[in-house]
Amino acid sequence: MTAGTGLTDVGRSELPTEIVLELESVDGGYGDLQVLYDLSLGLGEGEVVCLIGPNGAGKSTVLRTVFGLIEPWSGRVLLRGEEISGTAPEEVVRLGVGYVPQVKNVFGSLTVHENLQIGGTAREESEGVIADLYERFPLLAEKRGAKARSLSGGQRQVLALARALVMEPDVLLIDEPSAGLAPTVVEDVFESVRTVNELGTSVLMIEQNARAGLGISDRGYVLDQGTVKFAGDADEILDHPEVAELYLGG
Amino acid sequence: MCALQLVADGVIFSCIIILGSIGLSLVYDIANFPNFAHGDLMAVGAFGAITANTVLGLPFVAAAVVGIGVGATVGVATERVVFEPLDVGPLELLIASIGVALCYRAVLIGGFGSDPRSYDVGGRGRVEALHEATGIAASPRSIAIVASTLVLVLSLHLLLQYTSLGRQMRATADDPDLARVSGIRTRTVTTAMWIIGGGLAAAGGVFLGLDTIVRPQMGFDLLLVLFAAVILGGIGSVYGAMLGGFAIGMAHELTPLVPGVGTEYKAAVAFVIMILILLFRPSGIMGGKESA
Ligand SMILES: Nc1ncnc2c1ncn2[C@@H]1O[C@H](COP(=O)(O)OP(=O)(O)O)[C@@H](O)[C@H]1O
Ligand SMILES: [Mg+2]
Repeated sequence: MTAGTGLTDVGRSELPTEIVLELESVDGGYGDLQVLYDLSLGLGEGEVVCLIGPNGAGKSTVLRTVFGLIEPWSGRVLLRGEEISGTAPEEVVRLGVGYVPQVKNVFGSLTVHENLQIGGTAREESEGVIADLYERFPLLAEKRGAKARSLSGGQRQVLALARALVMEPDVLLIDEPSAGLAPTVVEDVFESVRTVNELGTSVLMIEQNARAGLGISDRGYVLDQGTVKFAGDADEILDHPEVAELYLGG
Repeated sequence: MCALQLVADGVIFSCIIILGSIGLSLVYDIANFPNFAHGDLMAVGAFGAITANTVLGLPFVAAAVVGIGVGATVGVATERVVFEPLDVGPLELLIASIGVALCYRAVLIGGFGSDPRSYDVGGRGRVEALHEATGIAASPRSIAIVASTLVLVLSLHLLLQYTSLGRQMRATADDPDLARVSGIRTRTVTTAMWIIGGGLAAAGGVFLGLDTIVRPQMGFDLLLVLFAAVILGGIGSVYGAMLGGFAIGMAHELTPLVPGVGTEYKAAVAFVIMILILLFRPSGIMGGKESA
């Protein structure tokens, strides 16, 4: 699929560490509309991996498929080698995977604190973790009683991230955390993603702002028309002339 | 009849409408369709209670609890057997719910006949002390209806605002996909919602039967008033349904105060309000998905 690019094909051998999450030749989509074509990718333990590619390439669909919001038509989704294809989202959460959707990622009619409590639905006790999150994200502590719909775009994005972190997931899927945010806020959000990763969570992130996204990532995949066109280390992708011209805006 | 009396009657009628509208709103909010069987579910509750009361000989209060249990059970069972297995859109569910309504009513008519029945319990006369003090004629039955409704509505409020289940219900109503993504087992939440909605509808039916008479058609006759209340309050908002139920119930009973308008126009008022709201503020007074 990447013949002649000079970049690596997607293969287990290329992944630096133990694979925590893997898609194996996944076809999928919505109703009759096929979006993903024979798509394979992997996320290694402790990595930040960035999915880039044009609008409509199927990036968000990859995350929805992993999370069980849609079922793959064929192929497999593996978590630590165990197949989880088609597992319902509320159960995927319980397997240690978190998901921050691109849009509609907070409960607008609930307060900040209630959003976090909902994030901890699947655990016995969440107040301790929530208290830690308030320390890490002081703006949330300030706004704990405010309805989420009253938050700014950046604050919402932080809340959406924190909501997923209440479960202390091993694997976190994040869909375009910087979409629609001012550049200074984008840096804060990326900083938070890095911190989450440093605390031991493997991150699979979609980023429209490809250069910035790859900048904080270990590896990247370029998706186009529902399949992986290029894969490699983040630096490799950033430096690759053809990828740069086609997908990074020159 | 003095205005104060009409207000008192309005409060009693409002209580019944509120109990019915809450469930209708909950179902709309979480299951996403207008349940046309909800009025008949009220009747099911009333008949559950009358069976326990007049056939099994239970005291009325115990019979009322049985009626509420029957309403909750029938609500959940219907969801499991009919609505949940149907993988169709809101319009098809609406039509299915009309079929369900007809089934409930057919069973009631088949089992009990169409003759009106009443509960075997006293408390019909007016409370003299209240009458002397205020001029309002209200029976101990009416007072019990208002007090019980307040307790039920307050309990629901506490449940929604201060318990994990209530929080999960509000989150699921707000965004079902995000709810699942956050780990909420939305199926459990939906079941709880049907139990609460069905139970409250049954309570409304029991109270309506206590205030007037128990007959198979009683709930269906109320259905459009319930819809008017829910639409007035903002479809899918439980607190809106409470407010809308109160407003519609009061408007219904206060109609005769308008000069030249007789009691025969009572029923039309709810629909006039409903149409006006749909024309001028379709999101309702609580503006749609505000609170739950
Ligand atoms: N819920 C949906 N129903 C039907 N088609 C959808 C849905 N969501 C996305 N699509 C389609 O799937 C394709 C890929 O979408 P998406 O995965 O969101 O792309 P990306 O995130 O890369 O921009 C697009 O053609 C889009 O129109
Ligand atoms: Mg997308």
